[in-house]
Amino acid sequence: MRRRDVLLTAGLGAAALAAPALRPARAQATKTLVIGGSVPLTGAAAETGLNVNNGYITAATYLNDVLGGVEIAGEKYKIELKLFDDASDPARATTLIQRQIDAGTDFFLGSFGSNIVLPTAAITERAKKVMVQTGGGSDAIFTRGFKYSFGMFPRATRQFAAASALFKTLKPTPATYSVIYNNDAFSKTAGEGVKLSCDAAGFKRLDQYELPGKVTDVSSVLASIRANTPDLLVCVVHDQDSLLIARQMVATGTNVKLLFQGLGPQLASYREALGKYSEAVLCSTYWDDSVPYKDPFFGSAKKFHDYYKTKFTRPIAYHVSGAAACIETYVIAMQNAKSLNPEAVREALVAADFDTQYAHIKFTPEGDGEPLSLGGMIGQVQKGKLETVFPEKAKSAEAVYPAPAWDKKA
Amino acid sequence: MSLIVQTLSDGLVLGGIYALSAVGFSLIFGVLHVINLSHGILVLVGAYLALIVSTALGVDPMLTIPVVMAVLFAFGYVYQRFLIQRAVDRSPLGSMLLTFGVALMLQNVMIWVFSPDMKSITPSYAFASFHLGLVTFDAVRVSALAASLVLLTLLAVLLKYSALGRVIRATAQQTLAAQLCGVNVRHVYALTFGVSAAFAGAAGIVIGIILPFSPNDEALWTMNAFVVVVLGGVGSPAGALLGGLLLGVVNTLTAQYIGPSFPNVTMFLLLVLLLLVRPNGLLGNAFSASR
Repeated sequence: MRRRDVLLTAGLGAAALAAPALRPARAQATKTLVIGGSVPLTGAAAETGLNVNNGYITAATYLNDVLGGVEIAGEKYKIELKLFDDASDPARATTLIQRQIDAGTDFFLGSFGSNIVLPTAAITERAKKVMVQTGGGSDAIFTRGFKYSFGMFPRATRQFAAASALFKTLKPTPATYSVIYNNDAFSKTAGEGVKLSCDAAGFKRLDQYELPGKVTDVSSVLASIRANTPDLLVCVVHDQDSLLIARQMVATGTNVKLLFQGLGPQLASYREALGKYSEAVLCSTYWDDSVPYKDPFFGSAKKFHDYYKTKFTRPIAYHVSGAAACIETYVIAMQNAKSLNPEAVREALVAADFDTQYAHIKFTPEGDGEPLSLGGMIGQVQKGKLETVFPEKAKSAEAVYPAPAWDKKA
Repeated sequence: MSLIVQTLSDGLVLGGIYALSAVGFSLIFGVLHVINLSHGILVLVGAYLALIVSTALGVDPMLTIPVVMAVLFAFGYVYQRFLIQRAVDRSPLGSMLLTFGVALMLQNVMIWVFSPDMKSITPSYAFASFHLGLVTFDAVRVSALAASLVLLTLLAVLLKYSALGRVIRATAQQTLAAQLCGVNVRHVYALTFGVSAAFAGAAGIVIGIILPFSPNDEALWTMNAFVVVVLGGVGSPAGALLGGLLLGVVNTLTAQYIGPSFPNVTMFLLLVLLLLVRPNGLLGNAFSASR
C-alpha cells in the first residue's frame, strides 16, 4: 500500500469512527424553527418598519447566540427568520406571504401598518397559519372573526382609553377637545377611538379635522382652532404630520392647554426639531426600559435594551420591544403547547397570560391586546426627555397641565 | 372676513413654494420634452444636502443655496448627458422609464445613507411669526416664499436676457434651426437639465425648512410639479408661478371651506377640467410659438 493510500484509509476510518458521535450533535444543532413574514424596509412605513425588523432580529439573535437556542417539547431549536422587504406595499406583502405559505412556513410575524397587516393576516387566516404582529392596530384586523392573528396592541378604538383616563385626573379638569387625524385606515380608526373615549369621559367635542394622507400645510386647520380653541387638542396623525402641526402651531401662536400627539414625541428627531417647544407635549408610549416586567429570556426591559445596544446604533423605540415580544410570545406559547403544531400553538396563544420585557401578554378573544395589559402608557416631554405620566404604577413624573403657552416655554 | 384673508394669504405663501418646486420640471418638459419622474428625488437631494452643509458649517440653510445649486447643476448635467440622452435616443418613452427607475434607486440609496427617518431643517427663525392687521404670517414660510420669488425671477431673467437663456429658448423653439446655426443641442439639453436640477435642489432647501421630509416623499413633489405645470403651462417661470399660486390657493380654500381632507380632490378635479378645456395650461407652452 502506498503512503498516500494509507493516509486516505486512516482518514476515512477516523471519520467513520467519529461519525456516530457527531451525528446527534449535528442533528441537534440543525433543528430550526422557521418564522416567516415581511417588513417594510423601504417605502412610506420604512422608518417604523426598520424598528420592527430590528426587534425581530434582536430577539432571534439573543435566543440563538446567547441562549444557544430554545427548548420546545424536549428538543432544542434555533430560530430562523425568513423576513422580506415588502416596500410598504400591501400587494407585494401578500405575494411574499403567500409564497412562504406555499413553501411550508407555519408561523408568521407581522409587517408594519394596518393596510399591510390586514390583507396578510387574511391570507394566513385562510391557510390556518398563525400570525403574531406588532404593526397593525386597526379595528378591521380584529373584527373579522380571524382566529389565527394576534396583536401586541389593543385595537385602535380602544387605544385611547388610557389617555382619556389621564385627562380626567388633570386639575382643573379640561372641558373640551378637538381631534385631528389623517384619512387612512389606522388614523381614522384611531380618531374614532379618541371620540369614543373622550365623549364617554364627558369631554365636549368642538371640532374634528380629517387631513389627507400627505400633508404640506395645516394653516387653515390652525386658523379654525384659533377661532374655536379647545382645552385639549388630540392629533392621531403620522409622525411627520405631528411635527408639521406642532411647528405651525408654534409659528402661528396657536395655543391649547394640552397638545396630545399619538405619534411623534416618542422620537428623538421630533424632540430635537422642536427643541424647547416640545416641552409638555403628550403622546402614547407602549414601552420604555423601566417597565417592571420580568422576562423569561432577557430578564428585564433594561437588559433587553442593553443587549439591543450591542447590536444596533439606532435609538430604541417601543416597536423594537414589541417586535421582540412577538418572537418571545411565540416561543413561550410553543413551550406551553409542547408542540410546533400551528393549531396547538394558536390555542396556547389564546390562553397567553405571561410577562415579557415588553408587557404582560394577554389577548382578547378577537386577538388584539387586552386593553389593561397591552394598553400602553402616556408619556410627556419634560426637560427634553419623555417621562411616563400615566398609569400611576408606571409613572416617572407628574403630568404638567396646563402646558405653558409656546412663547413662555423656556 | 379675517378668516378668508388669512386663508388666501396662506394659500399664496404655499403656492409660491409649489411654484419653485415645479419650475425645474416645467423647464425640462418644455425644452427636452422629457417627463422627469425623478424630479421629486432631486428636490429631496437638495433638502438633504442643505441639512448636511448647514449643520456642518453652522450657517443658515438659505445660505447653502449656491452650494446646493452648484452640486445639483453638475449632477443634472451628467445625468442628462450620459443617461437620459441615451434613453431619449432609443425611444421616446425610454426617458420616462429611466427617470422612474433612477428615482426608485436614489430613494433606496437615500434610505441606506440617511435612514428612512424623518428629518427637518430648523433655522433660527423656524418658530417666528408676525402680524399684518388680523393676518398672522409664519416667518419661515414667508422667507421660503421670498426665496422662491427671487429664484423664479432670476430664472426668468436668465432665460430672457442671458446668452444661455437665448440658446435654451432657441433650441426649445426650433431645434433643427438651432443646430443649423451651430448650437450644440445635446450640450444645451444637458445645461437645461442642469439648471432645472439646480432649481429643484433650491426648492428642496425651501421645502426642508418648512416641512419635515424623508426619502419616501419624492413622489409627492413630482406629482405636485406635474399638476402645477398642467395648470400654469409648460416651460416658463411665469407659468409655474401661476400654476403654483393657483394650486396653493385652491389647497387652502378647500381645506378651510370644504374640509382638510379634500384638497387633493379639488386639485385633481381642476387638473381634469383644465386638461379638457385648456390642455396647454393657462399660459400655454412658452416655447410653442414658432414650432
